[in-house]
Amino acid sequence: MSDDEITADLQAENDVDAAAALANDDEEDDDDVEQITAQKVLEILETAWINEMCAPEILPNQTDMLELMVSQVSHMEEQMRDLDKNDFRAVVHSMELERVRYIMASYLRCRLQKIETFTQHILNQEDAREPDDKRLSPEETKFAKEFAGHVDEYFHKVATQYMPNQQRGELDQRIVVPNLMSHVFLKANVAVPAVIVGVDDEEVDMAPGSQHIIPYQLVADLLQNNQAQLI
Amino acid sequence: MSRENKLFGDKAFELLKDLERSSQTIPAFDDDGVRQVLEEIKAIFEENVAQASSYNSSGDRSLWPLLNYRHAALQRNKRCLLAYLYERSKRIKALRWEFGPIIPGDIKQALCEPEVQFFNNYSKSLAAYMCIAGCSQGQGIDLTNNLRPPKSLYIEVRCMEDYGKFELDDGELIHLKKNSQHYLPRAQVESLVRQGILQHIA
Repeated sequence: MSDDEITADLQAENDVDAAAALANDDEEDDDDVEQITAQKVLEILETAWINEMCAPEILPNQTDMLELMVSQVSHMEEQMRDLDKNDFRAVVHSMELERVRYIMASYLRCRLQKIETFTQHILNQEDAREPDDKRLSPEETKFAKEFAGHVDEYFHKVATQYMPNQQRGELDQRIVVPNLMSHVFLKANVAVPAVIVGVDDEEVDMAPGSQHIIPYQLVADLLQNNQAQLI
Repeated sequence: MSRENKLFGDKAFELLKDLERSSQTIPAFDDDGVRQVLEEIKAIFEENVAQASSYNSSGDRSLWPLLNYRHAALQRNKRCLLAYLYERSKRIKALRWEFGPIIPGDIKQALCEPEVQFFNNYSKSLAAYMCIAGCSQGQGIDLTNNLRPPKSLYIEVRCMEDYGKFELDDGELIHLKKNSQHYLPRAQVESLVRQGILQHIA
């Protein structure tokens, strides 16, 4: 009797483990080249999401990670279909999927919002960047351009076309620029020596895991190199 | 030069204040106000052009401050007017997120023709973006879903109107009748909740 119970328990435990491991294994099968686990992808995505939410300017896009995650999610959904609806694992997993989906949607929404606010500024910056260095994905670029067009069209139809000629254009006066010197909360991932803070070249050494409040622009490159993350 | 007992830029500022104060989703487009501001801009501009030419010919330095002053007033008017439009365009964008691709009739009345067009264009771009977002080959992500962090899988909802049959992902059919209560998967009913057909109860 007691033996049976133990085996049953073990069985259940194994199942849970298997289900949990499912994500990782499948990811590796799908992607022999990159050898990146779903866990890792999610971590990267979460960091990118938090950074994006906290940073005043738009950050490089994570389309690759996002695509991996999307395919992972739909894969998981398929697996879940075989599970009984009232199974405990099904509930846990679908909750987790919901969370992942929320993160992805929220991340993209956040980027769209920045694009809508700083449209012209971002487009100008993108034009100045090298092709490999672009921060927007092609879809986002398309959206940004269309959006800029729509706003201009609207302004033109309602107001600017009735204004005297010399007063019309001046598009560059309307550019909204993010305040890069706004303060952000930052956590160092690794030891970063001699970060310049303040105007008079004051330097600060950041220990791994230490937290700081600092103007964004001074640490923007640390974010790029993944030496620090926003919190 | 007829001058009413009013300062330059009053009307433009009024526009902005009215918009700021209104508690509606979006107040009616102030056609009159916008036109008045535009006329004021034009009037100031013409006065300035006339005086600028006389300044050029006569070189009368005393006209200089006046020219500058009018130019500033003109810039201010323009800025207020565009700010008014910008704020409205922001609210129009919010409509898209709240109500989906179709504007409810009563709100549509508050918009002017170019605004409706702006809404449609915006809606189209957004839809196109969502179709391919984050996924080059697949179905994309509907960003208007998952607006809030998920707290639980299922939520309890009360039906506010007779909606009819509603099919869940697993094929289960549910009759949504007025005042009936259901316990449904959040992800699938979120859009109904936003449309006001269902009401989320604690």
